[in-house]
Amino acid sequence: MIACHGIGKAYGHFQVLHDVNLTIAEGECFALFGTNGSGKTTLLKVLATLERPSTGHFEILGMHGLKDKEAIRANLMFLAHGTHLYDELNARENLAFALALRGRHPTDRDVKRVLDRVAIGAFADMKVRHYSAGMKKRLALAKTMLAKPNVLLLDEPFTALDTAGTEILREYIRERLSDNGTVLLSTHDYDKTRPIAGRAGILRHGALQETAIEELQPDDLV
Amino acid sequence: MTIHRVIRNVQRFEGWFGGGAVLCLVAGLYLGLIGSPPDYYQGEVVRIMYIHVPLAHTSLLGYTVLAVGSLWYLWKRDPIVDNMCQAVAALSAVFTALALGTGMIWGKPTWDTWWTWDARLTSFTVLLLILIGYLMLRTFVDDPEKEARYGAILAIVGFVDLPIIHFSVEWWRTLHQPQSISMRGVSISSGLLMPLLFMSIGMSLLFSYMLMVRTQLLYLDRLLHAKKGRLLSQFHLSKSDS
Amino acid sequence: MTSFNVIRWILWKDFVTELRSRETISSMVFFALIVILIFSFSFSMDQQAAREVIAGIMWVAFAFTGIIGLGKSFSTELQNDCLEALQMVPEAKGAIYLGKVAANFAFMFVVEILLFPMFVILFNLEVVEEISLLLLVFFLATVGLSAIGTLFSALTVQIRAREVMLPILLLPLVVPVMIAAVEATKGALNGDPLAMYEQWLELLVIYDVVFTVVSFWMFEFVMDS
Repeated sequence: MIACHGIGKAYGHFQVLHDVNLTIAEGECFALFGTNGSGKTTLLKVLATLERPSTGHFEILGMHGLKDKEAIRANLMFLAHGTHLYDELNARENLAFALALRGRHPTDRDVKRVLDRVAIGAFADMKVRHYSAGMKKRLALAKTMLAKPNVLLLDEPFTALDTAGTEILREYIRERLSDNGTVLLSTHDYDKTRPIAGRAGILRHGALQETAIEELQPDDLV
Repeated sequence: MTIHRVIRNVQRFEGWFGGGAVLCLVAGLYLGLIGSPPDYYQGEVVRIMYIHVPLAHTSLLGYTVLAVGSLWYLWKRDPIVDNMCQAVAALSAVFTALALGTGMIWGKPTWDTWWTWDARLTSFTVLLLILIGYLMLRTFVDDPEKEARYGAILAIVGFVDLPIIHFSVEWWRTLHQPQSISMRGVSISSGLLMPLLFMSIGMSLLFSYMLMVRTQLLYLDRLLHAKKGRLLSQFHLSKSDS
Repeated sequence: MTSFNVIRWILWKDFVTELRSRETISSMVFFALIVILIFSFSFSMDQQAAREVIAGIMWVAFAFTGIIGLGKSFSTELQNDCLEALQMVPEAKGAIYLGKVAANFAFMFVVEILLFPMFVILFNLEVVEEISLLLLVFFLATVGLSAIGTLFSALTVQIRAREVMLPILLLPLVVPVMIAAVEATKGALNGDPLAMYEQWLELLVIYDVVFTVVSFWMFEFVMDS
């Protein structure tokens, strides 16, 4: 569950977010549309506890966004634009390191299973430096799968993913939803988002306007 | 937001601080420059002490305020406390620079050199460098929240470092130039004490007065920025709706 | 025990990265060699004069190379925004700090050990007898530099002009380390009795303890909004 109450974020006189109120229930996927610079990433970063909102507050799974950060972080994964991968480590090492920081130690079988699931099992021992953008995105997704978060924040998840990768990601999101997870994704790709998103909203100059996903106009999505 | 109200209430009396500063400084300058006898050893030169010592004291006081304010900010995150920190850092930097300048001017006739690696001069130079670093740091951060947080961290670390810097420089001095000329040589007779007291109080009052005005200015500036941001985003929003 | 694990994994990650990319230590060593070379051009000196200034030159070289290593420590975390992942670790950030301090200390210490023979050769030093005391000085001073340097590396990496701001903020704060390290190194190189420079070692210990504690505490605020 995600609940935002009047979240605002300003950098000096640049108001990036403006009184955002949003509630996403468990088992629900919310799609956040908006043009570049409309504040999508900033909202996700605030919810990922990476940035402190200038005004307002939020709760994730009933935990206060400013007071219970550690507990929120343990239950949340942020699939960001940067993939949070180390170039000099290979896929296995990246997974082991990222999970170890979260206090988890996946078995070799688990690692192999997720790498196969995102179809990069063949490159498990290759340094991430030599990965393509799409492969990095898939590895980041594999990391998310191992962490099994209750809340999933995805920033432009379809960029760099090919058709097969997109389907793997959507399949995973469906799995999280059926498992009562909460998913918030930012995107500008209507067609790829339509099959999974239950609700949608548009950020315009930092203000959120909720709309039924069917009613989105093509020029909203540019 | 109680601290906000406290600062507001103190600020109501800022005129008294300003007026008190003028009275004390005028009295101190009169006593110091005209009313007191020249020093037995240093002659007329000693009179710069009435400016130099209060400046040095006040800048140390300012740095203490900065450190306390920074701790408070990290604890409570009150924006007005951060405005106060920014104001006090700039003022302390100016006062430190003036203290160094007057120290050098005093040094020329007494030690026949503009600069000596005296323990106090050296630690004040390092203090000035830390304050300038603090002000530079603040200009290089885009997010005001981060700016305040990083500034507070630097201020606290610097404050803890200050006594260690002072002792290390002092040890280093005694090692390399044992019976060096030290400012401690000036024995303070009662005739010198009175003007010094007035000047010290006056300088602290002046500092407090400027601090209040500057804090208020920065606080209003922040409110203005926020207002401007809200209006701008409303304007863009209404334009995109029509 | 999770905190201890985090320290271990951070250390492992930094070591593996360094072993594979060889960026940090090699650039530090090479930079230091250039500094030494320039110093030896700038002062032409006999052995007596060398003894007087060598400790100063040594620590200037170590501090500058240390800043290169410290800067890299967190700028590598900017690749693929890895810093965000560190900020989102669901635990106190102190373990990350200690892991990074350990890695930075190791890199700086290794570079200092590699460079010391160069000083001995290039400045015609007689081989010192008090090598273990010298190592103790290197150890204590490097702990201090890496303890406070790691904090400021993490702080400056998130601002503009970070390459400039790290030395500008760090160098004034490490004045006590530099003074104490130079004086103690001088003492150890000259083979003075320990009592003559004991106080500098004590100062270094105090500095190390104080700034490990303060930086450990402040690191939380650097990483966490």
